[in-house]
Amino acid sequence: MNAWQRYIAWRLLGALPVLFGISLLAFILAQLSPGDPAEILLEGAGTGMPSDAEVAALRSYLGLDAPPYVQYGLWLWRLLHGDGGMSYHLGIPVFTALLDRLPVTAALAGAALLWAMAGGIGLGLLMVRLRGTAAMLLRGMAQVMLAVPSFLTAILLILVFGVWLHVLPTNGVESAAGYLLPSLALALVTLAMTAQLLDAHLREALSSLYAQTARLRGLSETRVLLSYALPNALVPVTAMLGNFAAAVLGGAIIVETVFALPGIGSLALEAIHYRDYPLLQGYVLFLGGIYVLVTLAVDLVLARMDPRIALGGER
Amino acid sequence: MRFLRALFLLILLTAVAGCGQRAEQGESEHAATDGDTIVLAAYRQLAPGENDGYYCSRILDVWEPLITADEETGEPAPCLATSWEMLEGGRVWVFHLRAGVRFHDGTPLTAQAVVTNLDWMAKEPRSTAFYARSRKTYYPNLVHVEALDELTVRMTFSQPNINQLYNMMNFGSPVYAPSCLADDGNFSGVAVGTGPFRIVENVKDRYVLLERNENYYGEKARARRIMVRSIPSPEVRFAALKAEEIMGVLDLNAMPPVLADELAQDERFAVSTSRSIMVRYLAMNGTRHPFDDVRMRRAVSLLINRRLLVDALYLGYATPTMNLLSIASPFYKAFPIEQDATEAKRLAHEVLGDRRQKVVYCVNGADPIAKGEAELIAYWLADLGLDVRIEALESPMMTAVMRRGDYDMARSQQGLPSGDPLYVFNGFFSPNGTRNKALSLGYDNPEIDTLLAALNTEPDEGKRRAMFDRIQAISVAEQPLVPLYYDETIAVYNKARLTGYRALRYGVSLREVNWR
Repeated sequence: MNAWQRYIAWRLLGALPVLFGISLLAFILAQLSPGDPAEILLEGAGTGMPSDAEVAALRSYLGLDAPPYVQYGLWLWRLLHGDGGMSYHLGIPVFTALLDRLPVTAALAGAALLWAMAGGIGLGLLMVRLRGTAAMLLRGMAQVMLAVPSFLTAILLILVFGVWLHVLPTNGVESAAGYLLPSLALALVTLAMTAQLLDAHLREALSSLYAQTARLRGLSETRVLLSYALPNALVPVTAMLGNFAAAVLGGAIIVETVFALPGIGSLALEAIHYRDYPLLQGYVLFLGGIYVLVTLAVDLVLARMDPRIALGGER
Repeated sequence: MRFLRALFLLILLTAVAGCGQRAEQGESEHAATDGDTIVLAAYRQLAPGENDGYYCSRILDVWEPLITADEETGEPAPCLATSWEMLEGGRVWVFHLRAGVRFHDGTPLTAQAVVTNLDWMAKEPRSTAFYARSRKTYYPNLVHVEALDELTVRMTFSQPNINQLYNMMNFGSPVYAPSCLADDGNFSGVAVGTGPFRIVENVKDRYVLLERNENYYGEKARARRIMVRSIPSPEVRFAALKAEEIMGVLDLNAMPPVLADELAQDERFAVSTSRSIMVRYLAMNGTRHPFDDVRMRRAVSLLINRRLLVDALYLGYATPTMNLLSIASPFYKAFPIEQDATEAKRLAHEVLGDRRQKVVYCVNGADPIAKGEAELIAYWLADLGLDVRIEALESPMMTAVMRRGDYDMARSQQGLPSGDPLYVFNGFFSPNGTRNKALSLGYDNPEIDTLLAALNTEPDEGKRRAMFDRIQAISVAEQPLVPLYYDETIAVYNKARLTGYRALRYGVSLREVNWR
């Protein structure tokens, strides 16, 4: 086992108590929040009138009449056997429910990451290269993009591209085009942050000794920018984009709701609404797992990008 | 740089792979929507699927009940049962089924199929996205059901069940092909009914695709294919209508009044309305001061200007009422809307004296109109000496708070799954009623209890109607809760493209809808 493999194994093992902790915390919080899953389910759209006996029968059927520690213990035991339990309100295995929604969220996250990465790096480079009014305009535009919340961007995009121009669907993911507006709405703030971060780091890199040396060797400004400054400036940008990807993979609740996308975020909302404990537990584990894997991947990428970064946090 | 290029390529591939997978599914939908499919939208999934007690809503016209409701009068009307007899004072009911009816899978509707459905329905409890499917609720005290012949079903009850016909309307008596009923009380696949539409594709959380049942026994649906998409946000449904991605909206809360009004200004769209089954009311915690006093509840009811409320917040798409019973019930009795601020203040003063009382008004935080309504009502109630604190809560949390009795007032709603007024009266006005307890109404009126007991055995239609009238009169006078208004079903559609789109009490005239 080489150093990289040892590092990956150590990080994954270290994640286990974290995942256990957050699942326990989520279970406790769900138990403490008011609302009986059986009653909520039987009330349907809020107009049903389940009797006490019917609620009690459903509680028993769902295993809710057992003490909380037994419920959690059973869930954990099943999990160790690869069974995440059944969703109360969907009536299907939790892992199936999550996997059903994952493609939409993964595509959304991938597309949003592309926007943020390509747009952010492009904008950042332009901000460094351009001078005078053009540069000021670009920086102002980045400030505006940072200030506008994603739900407002989403509504504006729907209005312009869906309602007025009729060129893109206003909602749903019936075609790949359906991802364009939601991913853009989701990415815009991060795109602007990426551009600003890159701008700052590129300027720092361009004024560094190694950049000046490169210029003295007769290299063009573009070559210095792309071959010397950019790789160094991309290190913090990569770390930020990694966190963004993890957050989106965990479910972009607002954008999913606005664009009627059946992704992980809207599933989490349903789980909270129905007090669907197994689904909530599954979601929290999924989210934790995503964060663990993405941060691990980011660390590995950073170590690969910058040899000065040693795995394990040493430089 | 080579590494960065590889990383970029990897992300690109992930996005393309994800989109590609959806695109493949999209192709299936594209094929479905290609041509003459009419695309509509609702705020929720109208076909939640195999694990829902009904699989899909009645408004999709996929399954049909034995007994339906007359759209005009709300009275029980024949559907799969064409006639019926009440025997032994209501202890036995015999239903004669329509001949020549076939399920979508080609099997015939028989008395045995109905028996199988009732046995399957007994596998309780079963949650649904609509109304709880409970045989005990819709067939109280049923002890035996049997097929007398190919088209005759007999139900025997341990106690007289005079109101059984009303119990069985719509959600009370769905009939599916036995082949789609699973042993555990769920469905084994797509719901197979007898209705004018059959389900050809149901993609969870996205859409259900309906196709005309060419073998329907009655007048066939006009549209060949209808797709109903699930779009939770009203603003997005509005935008999708404007962009002509969908042709109409249906179901409860199809379009908020303010957006419906805006769409009505666009010459492409029309708004069709109908009296809804839903009544919105203000629940009062009758287990504690000050709403344990009937005078205080009456004071609130008399002070609220329902007409102004409806005109200001609902732009007229609602009708004021003081009666909790839905207008969809054939036993609904209209009462004049009383509004008398002077009398209200006098009653409140009798209860509170010169003191001011702090009260907590709970409202569903996800309902912006209800929050606006709460602000207005809170402003009015200050005149009664009530200092209202509005608490916007998540819906399940609000339910829990109300059951605990940890509130004073709350805005809620009630529908009517069948035509039976007892469903509502027993639930709200009986001391052990499920809603009475769940809302901490603390309501107990011996006269109503006596009337509810008598209604179980009284066969005379005139006397029954008089008893229902009396219960409604008592509830209007005592206001165990304060009914505000009943909704109108708002169905907005693209009139330039569709014909036959009409709002019904619940849903739209799906079978009449077609391209213009």
